[in-house]
Amino acid sequence: MTIWRTLRSAPSWVWPALVAIVILALPWLGLGYSAIRQVQLCCILALLVSGLNLSFGYAGQLALGQAAMYAAGAYTAGIMSVHGQTDLLEELAVSGVVALLVGLLTGIPGLRLNSWSLAMTSFFLVLLIPDLLQIFSGPTGGSNGLSGLGAVTLFGQPLSSNGYYLAIVITTVAWFAVMRNIVSSRHGVAFQVLKQSDVLASSVGISPYRMKLVAYALGGLPAGLAGALFANLDQYISPGSFDFTLATTILAGTILGGSASVYGAAIGAAIMQIGPNESTSFQQYALVFYGAFLIVGGVLLNGGIARLGRTLVGRLDRAAAVAGTAATPPGESGDGPPQEVPRLPGGVLAVRGVSKNFGGNQALLDVSLSASPGQITALIGPNGSGKTTLLNMVCGFYRTDSGEITLGEDRLNHLAPHRIALAGVARTFQTPNLPAGITVAEAVSSGRYAKARASMWSAVFRTPKYRRVRKADAAQADQVLELVGLSDVRDTEATALPLGRRRLLELAKALIASPRVLLLDEIASGLDEDEVDRIGVLLAKFREAGATVVLVEHNFRLVLEVADHIAVLAHGQVIAEGSPALIEQDPRVLSEYLGVTEESSTLTIAGEVAAITAERGEER
Amino acid sequence: MMTLIWTGLASGAVYALVAIGYNIVFISSQTFNFAQAQLLMVGAFIAYSGLVTFHLPVLVVALAAAAAVLVLAGLEERVAVRPVSQPDVQLVTTLGAATLLEGASQLIWGNQPLSVPFSAGSGVVTLLGGRLFPVQLALVITAIVLVVVLTYLSRHLKLGLALLGMAEDREAAILRGVNARRLALGAFAFSGALAGLLGLVVAPYTFAFATLGSSLALYGFVVLAIGGFGSMGGTLVGGLVVGLVETLVTRYLGSQYADLFVFAALVVILFVRPAGLFVRARERVV
Repeated sequence: MTIWRTLRSAPSWVWPALVAIVILALPWLGLGYSAIRQVQLCCILALLVSGLNLSFGYAGQLALGQAAMYAAGAYTAGIMSVHGQTDLLEELAVSGVVALLVGLLTGIPGLRLNSWSLAMTSFFLVLLIPDLLQIFSGPTGGSNGLSGLGAVTLFGQPLSSNGYYLAIVITTVAWFAVMRNIVSSRHGVAFQVLKQSDVLASSVGISPYRMKLVAYALGGLPAGLAGALFANLDQYISPGSFDFTLATTILAGTILGGSASVYGAAIGAAIMQIGPNESTSFQQYALVFYGAFLIVGGVLLNGGIARLGRTLVGRLDRAAAVAGTAATPPGESGDGPPQEVPRLPGGVLAVRGVSKNFGGNQALLDVSLSASPGQITALIGPNGSGKTTLLNMVCGFYRTDSGEITLGEDRLNHLAPHRIALAGVARTFQTPNLPAGITVAEAVSSGRYAKARASMWSAVFRTPKYRRVRKADAAQADQVLELVGLSDVRDTEATALPLGRRRLLELAKALIASPRVLLLDEIASGLDEDEVDRIGVLLAKFREAGATVVLVEHNFRLVLEVADHIAVLAHGQVIAEGSPALIEQDPRVLSEYLGVTEESSTLTIAGEVAAITAERGEER
Repeated sequence: MMTLIWTGLASGAVYALVAIGYNIVFISSQTFNFAQAQLLMVGAFIAYSGLVTFHLPVLVVALAAAAAVLVLAGLEERVAVRPVSQPDVQLVTTLGAATLLEGASQLIWGNQPLSVPFSAGSGVVTLLGGRLFPVQLALVITAIVLVVVLTYLSRHLKLGLALLGMAEDREAAILRGVNARRLALGAFAFSGALAGLLGLVVAPYTFAFATLGSSLALYGFVVLAIGGFGSMGGTLVGGLVVGLVETLVTRYLGSQYADLFVFAALVVILFVRPAGLFVRARERVV
């Protein structure tokens, strides 16, 4: 176990780097020609699988277009080479860009409908390859293939076969380093949020469409590089190398290695290359094998080899009690008094005359209300009265039929959900929905992903700006976690928290973006009384800090305790509005809630609530 | 010219038939069955074996094809669809089923296109000023009749209403006592039996060959995208568009342009009306 502890004390990138060095040295370790060629083909396939991992594993979009991007890269490099442009670096650069463009052009329409439409458009793209090559048979050689590629050079010098081997391995290693840096950065967390749910992603200001497009198109880059490397390997390319079998091989490599992983791509590709592709008799059964494998792998291999590896590492870590993953220290259990809240300057949220009709069902009719900074505005009403619909309209998930929603000076309606989030609307969800595999601190930091930007490139090269943003992420996450009392579970997996604490996590995630308005959707439902009290205390603090808080709630006690202003919705209309004391006496509210008619009533809601609570107490 | 249009209509009808299969499964279980066209392809191969190799009567072949493909589709649902809950993984497993069927067909029936006779005759007839084969007419009629019948049944049968309920709100339908699992299996089995039967009508027109599935799958998908997911009537319009585009482009520009133009049609529709022509864009629900 001490050995394991020593092994784990090195930074996580050291081990893959060591493996890379060994692979680089293979020709000098006496490996034969055919084995060397296998390694080269493994590298090329690994690039392709890695690209698919980015779009399928991280952004959740199945795409079969890797084969087409690969072909685009290969033919770009091939045509350049035939025309005397044999410098490898130039070919790699141009091929990569061309493949990226193919990805953008097919992703833009393909991502517009649903998850199948990208799969289908990209599949179609693979089918188009031979046709396109036939149409442009002049430069591409059509179905006969493209031959006559010049010998590859680097800085004007011809590359020896060992030199070319190094070039292939180094390119592959470089891409994996880039991939690792993207995935282990805040962008990686954002991808996981996106994969979990589009709604979740847009609620923190991520444009789902753009993010998916970025992942899919960026996945084209390694495919383009692989294409250029492949074209120069045999100095001959033909349409047969880019068929549907290749597309399924790539997908099988992804499933086998684990789609949401960096190094799994290399392992999956190596097994696919050395295993099935090796035997010639296999060709005949290739499709049957891949088909069966995709079914079995899809059903059973959830997470692939990478997941098995992660589980193993986790188990060894626990056995060896490696620092950092050790159990949280006792004591600090988060029940202490909440910290002082920094200023949270809110804006005025105004809803004016908003109506919404769902195919004949009038969900909202001419609803107007406003929420001011330094006040808690509660929105109550029976089930189906339109509360959540209104919330969804403020967040932009539904469009308004008429009326206007503004925050401060900004008009919100007709903006896309992620734009509304960026404009300063933060919300919590009734059912906390978090991706598996990220820590509490990461989940909270994802709340400011779009607010404090750091580009993909800055993450790849770990620029000072990226480091600054990353540091601010951590500092602010610590601050809000402290505030809601979750500091002790900072590094715990977010999905492992019980419901009450996950609600607090939602609250922290909403706070970290310093929103101008905070929308809380039934934040107290399902919580016990202590937890509700705790939320009540927190909300009061937010009010003191100047926040605009909108509380959609069924818990009447909480509402009466903390709200400054209550609006009551029934049948899609505001039937009453005013201070808690006023609402409590309002006859229409009473009839909606308690079914009491005006004459008979000397009841108040608080009285009813108290009576019910007392009854429950007796039962216990 | 009319002859050309008849060809386009017949091809379009084939794609519409594939799209109808997609729709049956999609409406009832919100699954996109990648392997639908491959099921039809297996039907086509069985039609070849039955009619040409074993000289069996048409009715027997039809029953055998329907039964065999029904079983295949049912198996697919049990093995590749039911155990998988995430839609993106279902896409992988149904693609696996498609690949498996394609590979197996290649092993059993080889790589050569096989010609399948049409039992209602092969003499050329003239209709509305265009010349066409009886099988082309049969395809167009089959597609229209199927759409009309399925639409009628879905509105008037309890089962159909249950299906529509499932499509509208799965959870609510389950709470109302609709057995979602049995419906999903039933939908796969039904679409399978249908695909088997249709193999007899499609094969004489397209020939039976091992990559028939892939091309039909894509064209069927374009039809679906044009008409809208879940819209039965939309498949007819989508089929009409795709069939005519393919035929006219092949005739006037050359066959290597056909796929390109159909792809262009798909891209245009995804830009202009991503939900298709006959489906209202549904608003997102949190």
